Amino acid sequence: MDAAIKFKDLQWRYEHRTNFALKGINLEIIKNDFIGVVGANEHGKTTLVSAICGLIPHSYNGIYKGSVEVFGKKVFDSDALELATNVGFVFSDPEAQFTAMTVEEELAFGLENMGFEHAKIKERIDWAAETTLIQDLLDKSPYDISGGQKQRVAIACVLAMNPPIIIMDEPTSMIDPLGKNLIFDILRRLKKAGEHTLIVVEHNVEQLAPLADKMLLMYEGLVDRYLPTREFYSDSNYLQDRGVLAPESTEFVQWLISEKALPASINLPLDLAGGIETTRQALKRR
Amino acid sequence: MNTETTLTASPERAAKSRKTLLGYVPMVSPFYAFHPATRLILFIFLGVTPLFIFIPEMNILLLFVNLALLRWGKVDIQQLKIYMPIIFTVAIFMFTVVILAPGKDPNYTPLEVLGKTIYYQPVFFTFAAYWRLIAMLFGTILFFSTNRERELLVGLRALRLPFVASYVVGLSIRAAGMFMEDFRTIREAEQARGLDTKAMRFSDQVKLYMMYLIPLFSIALRRANEISNALFARGYTLTGRTSTGKPREDYIRSTYSYSKRDFVAIAFMIIIFVVTGLTQIFFNVFAIEHSPLNIFLRQALGIPS
Repeated sequence: MDAAIKFKDLQWRYEHRTNFALKGINLEIIKNDFIGVVGANEHGKTTLVSAICGLIPHSYNGIYKGSVEVFGKKVFDSDALELATNVGFVFSDPEAQFTAMTVEEELAFGLENMGFEHAKIKERIDWAAETTLIQDLLDKSPYDISGGQKQRVAIACVLAMNPPIIIMDEPTSMIDPLGKNLIFDILRRLKKAGEHTLIVVEHNVEQLAPLADKMLLMYEGLVDRYLPTREFYSDSNYLQDRGVLAPESTEFVQWLISEKALPASINLPLDLAGGIETTRQALKRR
Repeated sequence: MNTETTLTASPERAAKSRKTLLGYVPMVSPFYAFHPATRLILFIFLGVTPLFIFIPEMNILLLFVNLALLRWGKVDIQQLKIYMPIIFTVAIFMFTVVILAPGKDPNYTPLEVLGKTIYYQPVFFTFAAYWRLIAMLFGTILFFSTNRERELLVGLRALRLPFVASYVVGLSIRAAGMFMEDFRTIREAEQARGLDTKAMRFSDQVKLYMMYLIPLFSIALRRANEISNALFARGYTLTGRTSTGKPREDYIRSTYSYSKRDFVAIAFMIIIFVVTGLTQIFFNVFAIEHSPLNIFLRQALGIPS
């Protein structure tokens, strides 16, 4: 399988810090996989994804050792345009990424940088707006809409550029529950389309886990665990020790297993529906 | 194109005004039928023309033209109240300076007013300069009350300002709006913790405002860093180069087009501007000496011209 991203012993220390934020990352992310990134705060999640989109080392000062390759080209040697063409980045604070005066302009900005013509820009804007349900916001100021709408606009900006890799850094951290559902609906659609490598840093594992092909745990600047999602959550105690919770349905079924109410061989559920179904089948068997 | 176009994307939102970073613009206005470049030229015209006119009555007339345009543009005149403190502060400042420090000139005519000696010439000159400033201020108010930031940028680009420069203008406007928003947030946070500025002495209020600068500047620095990261993430380079090497398309500008009325309006403004400028430069028609009020006062006070 083709690797979209390859980390080779990447180490990174921010300027004026004594410790390395990344302490030797070796990682391969397969094209079109959906990766969920979890971990406690200050353990290197954002730094890891910043190293993929090139903010590290191009926008921050520090010590950079090892390499990251995106589709075979080193991030260190790529410029902003090359990187933006391959990697889209959605920041946790949507307002922090707005630079234009209307939503439409905001969406057009990246496409103009990529050198598209008017007709193509229009087509891409319409598609991204439709995918993220922001068609009626195009004429508005991006500062004059709700938090959830802002985040959808931020996602639309990245989608419009249609990069093969899309990174979202805690995209739901600043929005209400309904807004969160909409963001995960968009992620679900993107996953279904299967045309993008998606890397999502997120604390909301209840909604992230059912979507992710693989989960990655960052701990003390290292990739502590990188496994297919079910396998990743097979040891909740281990994750808890590292400040990460498993989805509640997974924990519930694991508790039933520990109480010998269910066989250990059972497929761990990752969402509520899966949890109910697993429990129902187990009860039937009894 | 219709004489009136609407800016609303969702007609169900029937609010009369739309918030911009610097204030409000009407949802519907006859100004929107004009290309942003025409509106920007109107702004330049109304801002620069008073510089040729030293007759205060003419600048007051220009002020009324601005007010008429504001009304025609469906701007809520009530919202102009927020500019009253500026109008009065400028007047107080200018007249205080000229009364306390009029300068020395043997040709000045002293007048006794309420036991204080003032000089006619500098006071009338200040009066003329004040109305010139106010006429220019209302030209600016008209522009920002009928144009969103987007239209300003399109106008600038249409007048061939480089993309990078227009972008810096846009970011500056954005920064100003966010600065005000952060300022409001900090004040509200203080009020929520029981701070009553009304009960404070003036000197303490000044100190408090100075203290606001520290968090405001640190927030501004953080935001500058965030915007820089956002520009990088979307492939923007200061050279304005595109990934294909072709010149950068200006999508938003392409959504506006010129009509006949734009050319007529621009031609009209250029003619008026050139005629005003030339008559002043060559014939000094708009000199302060030709002000009817000035002539009347000199005659009434017996001041030789």
